[in-house]
Amino acid sequence: MEEWIGGIWDRWITQTARRDHPEAAVHLKDIEKTIGVLFRALGGDAGLRVAAAADTTHGARRRLLERIAGVHERTAHAALDMETLRLPPRIAVFPAPTFNRDLYIWLAAVAGSAGPALAGKYAGEWIVRNQFAAWVTLQRYPGLMPRYRRLVDALLAERIAPEKLPEDEAAQERAVRQALVEPGTVTELPPLTRHKAKPLQPVPLWLYPAPPSVAAPRKKDPQPGEAEDNEQPKEQQAENKRYQANRDELPENESPMILMWRAESIFSWAEYLRVNRALDEDENPDAGRAAESLDQLTVADGEQRVASKVRFDLDLPSAAADDLLVGPGIPLPEWDWKRRVMKPDFCRLQTMVAREAEPQPLPERLRRHARKLKNQFAALAPVRRWQKAQPEGTEIDVDACVRIYADRLAGWHFSGAGAYLNHRPTERDLACLVLADLSLSTDAHANDEQRVIDVIRDSLMLFGEALSATGDQFGFYGFSSLKRNFVRFHEIKPFDRPLDAVARGRIAALKPGYYTRIGAAVRRSIQLLEMVPANRRLMIILSDGKPHDIDLYEGRYGIEDTRMALIEAREAGIKPFCVTIDREGAGYLPHLFGPAGYTIVRKPEDLPDRLPLLYAQLTGNA
Amino acid sequence: MTAQQNDLPFYEPAGNEIDLFEHAHRNHLPVLIKGPTGVGKTRFVAYMAAKLNLPLYTVACHDDLTAADLVGRHLIGDGATYWSDGPLTRAVREGGICYLDEVVEARKDTTVVIHPLADHRRVLPIDRTGEVLHAPDNFMLVVSYNPGYQNFLKGMKPSTRQRFLALRFDFPDAAREEAVLIGETGCDEMTAKRLVSIGRSLRALKDVDLEEVASTRLLVYAAILIRDGMDTVEACRASLVEALTDDLEVAAALDEVVLATFGR
Ligand SMILES: Nc1ncnc2c1ncn2[C@@H]1O[C@H](COP(=O)(O)OP(=O)(O)OP(=O)(O)O)[C@@H](O)[C@H]1O
Ligand SMILES: [Mg+2]
Repeated sequence: MEEWIGGIWDRWITQTARRDHPEAAVHLKDIEKTIGVLFRALGGDAGLRVAAAADTTHGARRRLLERIAGVHERTAHAALDMETLRLPPRIAVFPAPTFNRDLYIWLAAVAGSAGPALAGKYAGEWIVRNQFAAWVTLQRYPGLMPRYRRLVDALLAERIAPEKLPEDEAAQERAVRQALVEPGTVTELPPLTRHKAKPLQPVPLWLYPAPPSVAAPRKKDPQPGEAEDNEQPKEQQAENKRYQANRDELPENESPMILMWRAESIFSWAEYLRVNRALDEDENPDAGRAAESLDQLTVADGEQRVASKVRFDLDLPSAAADDLLVGPGIPLPEWDWKRRVMKPDFCRLQTMVAREAEPQPLPERLRRHARKLKNQFAALAPVRRWQKAQPEGTEIDVDACVRIYADRLAGWHFSGAGAYLNHRPTERDLACLVLADLSLSTDAHANDEQRVIDVIRDSLMLFGEALSATGDQFGFYGFSSLKRNFVRFHEIKPFDRPLDAVARGRIAALKPGYYTRIGAAVRRSIQLLEMVPANRRLMIILSDGKPHDIDLYEGRYGIEDTRMALIEAREAGIKPFCVTIDREGAGYLPHLFGPAGYTIVRKPEDLPDRLPLLYAQLTGNA
Repeated sequence: MTAQQNDLPFYEPAGNEIDLFEHAHRNHLPVLIKGPTGVGKTRFVAYMAAKLNLPLYTVACHDDLTAADLVGRHLIGDGATYWSDGPLTRAVREGGICYLDEVVEARKDTTVVIHPLADHRRVLPIDRTGEVLHAPDNFMLVVSYNPGYQNFLKGMKPSTRQRFLALRFDFPDAAREEAVLIGETGCDEMTAKRLVSIGRSLRALKDVDLEEVASTRLLVYAAILIRDGMDTVEACRASLVEALTDDLEVAAALDEVVLATFGR
């Protein structure tokens, strides 16, 4: 009985105390794409990805009821750094969904139009920076004004009023309110004077300092207005120092506040931040860095990976157990986006073939499907078109006949033109390379019975049957990597061999492992495609599209290298196309592949069906 | 097909293109204009034709267009045949500007008739009638194409390309595009500024989220609808958003760009 009452009480108090409005919540995943496009349209950097921000403890004052119920001690802040625009995974600040949606829109607009001004992490200037950003945004997009007003009014109603706060906290709250209502009028956040004073209540309209990229999961973010403590990890201290240095480089006597109101300096100020951030260099990835990246995998970041597995797989199999290496490694360059240079011979790619791949027939369960595909693809005639004035053909070309007749009557007899319409298939002359991601992420479960790798295997088996029916030239390759010196490139079905029992055996022997250095694999694929005599070349990449390796190849670095490799492909006349089965990566796929250069297969088990279809679409008007 | 003389169509220049065109005309040199869709190529040629007081013969090229379509053909009538000039021949006979729009679309054999006209010879041989026409001083050949569409099979041969003076047209800068909108539609300055700002935001999405971006032409459409009293946001949706994408989520974002500029 007591328990029962306790349960009811608990539910009641939690619901009553909630200051957010779950029934009106808007989720990031539902408007992620729209937010991304808007961010870019208003000036945001296309190389950034939009991701969900992790919850952090804000430590701010809560209402009595909230404290009793234990709600609202954590919140997810919006933040922007050089790689990611982080937004709360869900917004339920306001009682009306349109307001919550508008808050997402506002955050994307601020990040896009005033982003560089916000990229720094100066705790003390945070309030100035955000006013500046709001001001710039409203200047550039005056249409946002009514919405901004609505949001501010609604937000003020949701916040604890200054009258109910102790003096020092009230002063801060008043400053924030004024900064929100009239951006540009508040020069600093008044300091907290009492030892036990609580930090500011979260301000959801503002962007917060980005969390350190390698955060220990439970470490609090540096809070605005909070005294800096000295127990920060070394890395973070270094970062703070860097920002300190940046500040010293600002012209003297010009506080950001002054710069702020001189319209022409807006961009120069933004430039400061950009340039200084670019100094953030780490070109010699050491063990520490790699370990940090691993830690990052354990951070709840919306990127679900199994950290323990990753660690486990770091040990290479003994040479005797690993796949056979073919030939010496192939040196390949890599793009350093910060320095904007191509680093020659930076990677070494090793071609490999499976060691224990028994030749295999097509698995029984796929046979019916394969037969169907084969028929479809054989019937999928390359585009035909009527050619006019041909010397022979199936139909009379009336126009040409009249013309010839008229020419004759006029005494002109030399017309070499034919008088027929001919329906001829145009030649395909096409080569297609399929590059499959075999990294450890393909070990994840696609559904109850299959892992992603199983789906990839089936897809390759079936796609191979379909391709054989078209007569197009094709090759299958797979890749993974373990740092830059060991990019593993698996030869599954080279262009010059048929899809036979050996190739099927290799498909069946594919196993997941290691990481995803896409750039190097794409560069090797370009070389291979260029060796095939064909008019048109297509590269289909089966991957979650997320570049990642345990040295410096991650985040923006990996994305930009991949992008550069894809540009190289296009320059070589190759059309790259990405088929991804990961929703999470979708944010930057447009940046890498362009608007019509990728597709997302939401249900992995659809891949075997989708792939041949896609190919038909891609090559249909060859 | 002949542009009206006397009243000049509205054209807002980008730089020295008017001057260059006049030099070309004076010195009997052909001109090639390249640039994305809807940035004023056709308008410029119409303007120049009127300014130089020349008739304008425009041919929109397509992949079934042959040399014979340009030159002319025999027609049958009343038991006899007679020769009918094609647009190119008429321009050469009577003088004027022959404008081949989207010239890379035309069949390859058209180059046979273009080449002798576009170099110092300035002749048009008509094999069917045995004539060789010499172009008069006021004949001018102008071609245009859009490098974006060109697929790699359909490039322009260097031997054709190198017979023309080339002019590049691009999206105008903000001030000029505003002037175009105001001059073309008579909309107010604020509307023009905002439309141009939207256009520029959308152009930032090229090749990432959009395959084609907003041309000046589309902005002109939006300005026309707004001037006609249509709700600004609705006008932009019809003329810009839906014209540029079929993807619902992208369209939602473009709508937001419009809202961020015009507001509600
Ligand atoms: N500089 C300009 N001056 C006046 N009007 C312009 C100018 N640029 C664009 N426009 C407007 O844009 C419209 C489209 O221009 P136009 O038809 O000349 O484009 P285009 O470059 O020929 O495009 P396409 O390659 O699609 O044929 C014009 O009707 C006009 O309203
Ligand atoms: Mg035109």
